[in-house]
Amino acid sequence: MRPRSVRHQPASNDGWVDVVQETSLLTILIFLPALGALGILFAPREMARVIALLTCGVTFVLSLWLIPPFLGAGDPSAAMDIFGSAYGDKLHFLQRIPWIQGERFSIEYFVGLDGLNMPLVVLTTFVTLLACVASWNFHTWKINKSSKAYFILFLMLETGMVGVFVSLDFFLFYIFWEMMLLPMYFLIGVWGGPRKEYAAIKFFLFTLAGSVLMLVALVAMFFYSADAVAERPDLALSYWTGEVLTTGTFDIIELSTNQAIQTKFNDGGTMFLGLRFATTMFMFLFVGFAVKLPSFPVHTWLPDAHVEAPTPVSMILAGVLLKMGGYGFLRLCYPIFPAGGYWWSAFLAALGLVSIIYGALCAMAQTDFKRLVAYSSISHMGYVLLGISVMSQTGFQGAMFQMIAHGISSPMCFFLVGVVYERAHHREINRFGGLWLTMPKYGTMATIGFFASLGLPGLCGFIGEIWVLLGVFEARDRFEWAVPVAIMAAAAVILTAGYVLWLIQRVYLGKEKPEHAGFPEATGREMSILVPLAVLCILFGILPKHLLFDYVNGTLNQIVGTMQDVLAMY
Amino acid sequence: MDDAAIKTWSILVIMGPLIGAILAGVFGPTVLKGKTHFVVIAGVALSVFGAIMLFLQVSGSHGDASTTVVLYEWIPSGAPSWFNVEFRVDALTTIMLLVVTFISLLVVIYSRDYMRDHGEPAKGYERFFAYLGLFVFSMVTLVLGGNFLLLYLGWEAVGLCSYLLIGFYYDRPSAAAAAKKAFLVNRIGDFGFGLGIFLIYLTVGSLDYNTVFERISAGVASGEIETSRVTAIALLLFCGAVGKSAQFPLYVWLPDAMEGPSPVSALIHAATMVTAGVYMISRCGAIFVESQTAMTIVASVGAFTALFAATMALVQHDMKRILAYSTISQLGYMFLGLGVFAANAAVFHLYTHAFFKALLFLGAGSVMHSMGNIIDLRKFGGLKRVMPWTYATMLIGCLALSGFPLFAGFWSKDEIIHAAFNKSHFLGWIGLITALMTAFYTFRMFFRAFHGVTKIPDGVHAHESGKWMIAPLVILSLGALFAGYAGVHISGGAFLGIFEPHGALHHFLDPVLTPFSHAPHVEMVAATHWQLYGLMYTSSALAILGIVIAYGMYVDSPMLPKVIAQMFPNAHDVLYNKYYVDEACNAWIVEPLRKSGRLCFAIDKYVIDGIVWIVTAIPRGLALLLRQLQQGSLQGYGASMVIGTAIIMLVVSFLSEP
Repeated sequence: MRPRSVRHQPASNDGWVDVVQETSLLTILIFLPALGALGILFAPREMARVIALLTCGVTFVLSLWLIPPFLGAGDPSAAMDIFGSAYGDKLHFLQRIPWIQGERFSIEYFVGLDGLNMPLVVLTTFVTLLACVASWNFHTWKINKSSKAYFILFLMLETGMVGVFVSLDFFLFYIFWEMMLLPMYFLIGVWGGPRKEYAAIKFFLFTLAGSVLMLVALVAMFFYSADAVAERPDLALSYWTGEVLTTGTFDIIELSTNQAIQTKFNDGGTMFLGLRFATTMFMFLFVGFAVKLPSFPVHTWLPDAHVEAPTPVSMILAGVLLKMGGYGFLRLCYPIFPAGGYWWSAFLAALGLVSIIYGALCAMAQTDFKRLVAYSSISHMGYVLLGISVMSQTGFQGAMFQMIAHGISSPMCFFLVGVVYERAHHREINRFGGLWLTMPKYGTMATIGFFASLGLPGLCGFIGEIWVLLGVFEARDRFEWAVPVAIMAAAAVILTAGYVLWLIQRVYLGKEKPEHAGFPEATGREMSILVPLAVLCILFGILPKHLLFDYVNGTLNQIVGTMQDVLAMY
Repeated sequence: MDDAAIKTWSILVIMGPLIGAILAGVFGPTVLKGKTHFVVIAGVALSVFGAIMLFLQVSGSHGDASTTVVLYEWIPSGAPSWFNVEFRVDALTTIMLLVVTFISLLVVIYSRDYMRDHGEPAKGYERFFAYLGLFVFSMVTLVLGGNFLLLYLGWEAVGLCSYLLIGFYYDRPSAAAAAKKAFLVNRIGDFGFGLGIFLIYLTVGSLDYNTVFERISAGVASGEIETSRVTAIALLLFCGAVGKSAQFPLYVWLPDAMEGPSPVSALIHAATMVTAGVYMISRCGAIFVESQTAMTIVASVGAFTALFAATMALVQHDMKRILAYSTISQLGYMFLGLGVFAANAAVFHLYTHAFFKALLFLGAGSVMHSMGNIIDLRKFGGLKRVMPWTYATMLIGCLALSGFPLFAGFWSKDEIIHAAFNKSHFLGWIGLITALMTAFYTFRMFFRAFHGVTKIPDGVHAHESGKWMIAPLVILSLGALFAGYAGVHISGGAFLGIFEPHGALHHFLDPVLTPFSHAPHVEMVAATHWQLYGLMYTSSALAILGIVIAYGMYVDSPMLPKVIAQMFPNAHDVLYNKYYVDEACNAWIVEPLRKSGRLCFAIDKYVIDGIVWIVTAIPRGLALLLRQLQQGSLQGYGASMVIGTAIIMLVVSFLSEP
C-alpha cells in the first residue's frame, strides 16, 4: 500500500499540501457482483435469481453513495480539490495499489471517480438492476437452461462494466474491457434467439478486432511515455507524487496531463512506423471504441446481437455497453491525443453524421421491432460521435448527456419490445396493431419511451441532441464543415420522427387485432421496470442541469481546456 | 408591476391545468371516473383567474411594457449563464392568456357532455381530460415563456398534445394516420424553427427575448449584423409558423386533424394552438421588421394561403373539413396582416377568430353528436327545428366568420384588408376575393345543415344537445357578437357614423407591438377617405353577396350546384381532391424516403456484411489450405520437415553473408 499520503500541487499554486484519501467503495462496487456470482455457484438453482437480484440491488444502493461528493460541484469549497493540475480536479473515491511491479514498469490497481465516469457507474448499476428484474421470469423463457450459469455470467458482466468505467490505469482498463466481452458472448450465444451463434461470434469478432488495435496502442503508449520522461525530465513532474517521473506509465491521468508525455505524444515529429504518432494511436484507440459505440461502418454486429439477445441482455447492451465507446473517446482518445483528434475531426464528424442519417434510414426500413430499435440506437449514438468530434465544451457536454439519455431511453425501448415479444412470440411490426387498446398502461409507457427516443422537448432525448447540434454550430469558426454538417444532422430529426411515429402507428394504434386481443396488461414486475425509466426520461428532460450537467461539466470543461492548451502548442 | 404578484399568478396559470391533468391521469381511471372533468375544469378555471389577475397587473401599470420573472435555471449555456425557466408578462402575453384559458375553459365544460354516449362516459373519458389539461398547460407555457427555448418547448409540447388528441380514437386507422401526419409535417416546420433559434443564439449569444430583440435592433442599426442574417433568422422562424399555423405548403395536416374529437378541433385546431405562429411573429416583431424580404414573404404566403384554402373549402362535404379549410384561410389573413406591418390587426383577428371559430366547431360537434358521429353534409340537413339552440348560435358564428357587418369577424378582417391595401393593392384584392368566398362557403355549409327539408340518417335519434354543451355555445356566440367591440371606438367614427377602427385592444397592445408601427420600412400609401371607410362598405357588401349566392344555390334552387359542378368537372375535381397535394407528397417525398431506407438496409446487409464475410473468409480459407498439410502420414511430416529445414538454412545462409 504505497501512497496513502500523497503530495501534490493544488490549483491555487500556493504550495504543496498533503492529502489523504483512500476508500474501498469502488473496489467493493466492482467485486460485489463477482462475489454474488460466487455465491450463486454454491447456492441451489432456485436461489440463483434471488441472489442475483439482491447483489444488483445492493450494488445499486451502494453506487448511490458515489453521488454526494459531486453534489456541490459548483461550490469549490464543498469538493476536495485534490488534483489541481489534472483535469480531474474532483477525483473521488481513489484507491491505488501497486499490482504488477517490474524494474522499469509498474502496473497499478488504480480506480477513481470524476464527473466523467460517476454518472456512467450509477447508470450501469441502475440498468443492471432493472435488467435483473427483467430476468426474473427466467424460468418461463424458451431457452430455460441453467439459470445458475445465466445469473453468474450476468453478474460477471456487471463486474466488468463497473471495472471499465472506474479504472484509471490503462492496463487495468484493458483487462476489464476484455473481461466484459466473455460473459456477453455467452449470454447472447447460449440464451439468444435462433441465430444466436452467428450473432455472438459476430459481436465477439468485431470487438476483438478493436481490442487488438487497442492493445498495440497500450504497449506503444507505455514505451513512448518512457521515452518522453527520459527526454524531458524537466517537464516530467508527476501530478501524483509531485516528483519527476522516471519510468513509463499506464496511469491514464498521467498520460493525459504530464507535460513531458503530452509534448512527446502530440508532437508532429514523433513517429510510429513512419506515421505520426498522435494520429495513428488515436485511430488505433478510436477503432476499438467505435466498434462499441457503434459507429458506421463497424456497426453491423449491433442489430444482429440485439435481435438475438434476450431482453435483459439487450437492455444492458444498449444501456451500458454502447456507452463504453463514448466513454473511451472522452477518457482516452481525446485527453491523451488531442492533436490526433484534431487531425481526424472532419472524418469523425462525417462518421457521426453518416451514422445518424444512415441509422435512421435503416430503422425506417425495418419490419422487425427489435431491429428497428437497434438501428435507432446507431442513429442516436451518432450524435455522441458528432458532438465529441468538434472538441468543444458544448459538444462534449452534449455527447455526455446524449449517452446518459440514451442509456435511459434505449433500455426502456428494448424492454418495451421484450414485453410484447413475450406475449406474441414474434416481432413483426406489421402483424401488430392496436396494442394500446389491449394494454393501455403499457401503451402509455411505450409512448413516453418512444417519444423520449424521438427527442421530444421536455424528455431526455431532446437535450442531448440539441446540445450536440449547438456545439457543432458553435465550432463554425474552427471547422468550415461545421454548419452544413449541423444542418444535416438537425434534418435527421425529421427522419427520427418519421420512423418512431410510423412504428407507434403500426404497433400501438389502429384496430385491435384478434390474435393479440387476449394479451394481459403489463404486470407489476414489468411496470416496476418501465415506470422508473419513464420517470427518469421526464426528469432528465426537465432538470438537465440539476441531474447531470452540474456533475459532469467541471470535468468535461477541464478536459477541453487541457486539450486546447495542448493544441495551442501545435 | 409587482414582480412577486406576476410570479404568483403566472405559476397559478401554468400549474392549474397541469395539476388538473395529473389528477385526471392518475386518479381518473380508478377514483374519479365519470367525474374526471371536475379536476380539469377546476384547474383551467384557476388558470383563467390567474390570467385575469395578470391582465389587471399589466393594464394597471402604465409605461411598464413587460416584466420577466425567473423561476429556475434550466440548461447550461457556456460557463456562467444558464437558460432559465422564465416568464415574460406583457400586453400580448395577457391577451393570449385570456383567449387561451377562457376558450379552454368553455371547451372543457362542453366536453363533459360531448364525451358521453347517452349520459355514460365514453371510452377514454379520463384520458381525454388529462390530455386537454396537458394541452392547456403546454399552450400557456408557450405563451408565457420568456425565451426562445421555452417557446420551443411549449411549441413541441402542444404538438405532442395535438398528436395525442388527433389520435384520440386511435382504433380508427384514419385517426392514427392523421396524428402521425400532423406531427411529422410539424416536425418539418420545426426543423426550420430550431435552426432559426440556433442562428439567433449564434448571432447574439443569448436566447432571452429582451436581450435578443435589443441586440438585433442595435446590431442592425450599427451594421454589425447583416440584413441577410436577420432575413435568414426570420425566414427560419417563419418555417415553424408555417407548420404550426398550417400555412402553404405545410397546411396538409390540418384538414386530416379533424379526425380528433370536435372539442379538440375547436380548441387546438382552430382557436389556440394553430395561432401560435401568429403569436410568435408578433412576439418577434423586432426581428421580422428588420427584414423587408421576410415580411414580404410572410404577407405573400398568408395571402396565398387565405385564397388557396378558401377555394378548397368551396366544394367539401364534411362540415368539419370545411371549417378546417376556413381556419387555414383565416390564419392566412393573420399572416397577411403581420406581413403588412399590421400586427395589432393580426392579433385582433386572432382574438375574434378564437371566439367564432371555436363556436363553429363546437356547433358542428353538437350536430355530429346528435347525428351519431356523422358529419357529412350529404347525409343530413334541415336541422333548424331539431336543434334550435345549435341553429341560433351557429348562425351567429357563421355571420361572424363571413364578415357580416357589426359581428366580431367583420372588424378584424376588415382592418387586415385595409392594411393590405395600404401596402399593395394586389394583396388587398386577394383579401377581398377571399372574403367573398368565405361568406359563400360558410353559408353553403350553414344552409345545407340547417335549412331545407329535414333529413336525418337512418337509425339516428336526433336531439338537441344538453346544457353542458349549449352553455358554452351561448357564451361563445356572445363573444362572436360583441368581442369585436374591444377593437373599435364606438363614438364619432366614420363607419355608419359611429364606429372608428383602433380601439382599446390596440392601445393596450401598442407598447408590445411598437416594432411593427415604428419599422423603418413601413411606407404608407396615402389613404383617401374612400380607402379608409369605403372599404368597410365594400367588404360588407361582399359578405352579404356571398350569403345571397349561397342562399340562391342551396335553398332557393338546390339543383344549381350539381349543374355547375357538371359544367366545370375538371375544376370541381381538382378542388374536391384538394389539388392532389397529398398524392404528390406521397409520391415525391414519402415513397423516395422509404425507398432510400430500404436501400440503406440492403447496403448494410450485402455490402458491409459482405465485406465482413470476405475479411473473415481469409483466415478460414487459410485454415482450409493449411489443414491439407496435416494429413497425418509420417512420411509427409518427415518430408515437410526436411524441406522446411532446408529452406531455413538457405535463408540463414543468405542473411549471414556479408
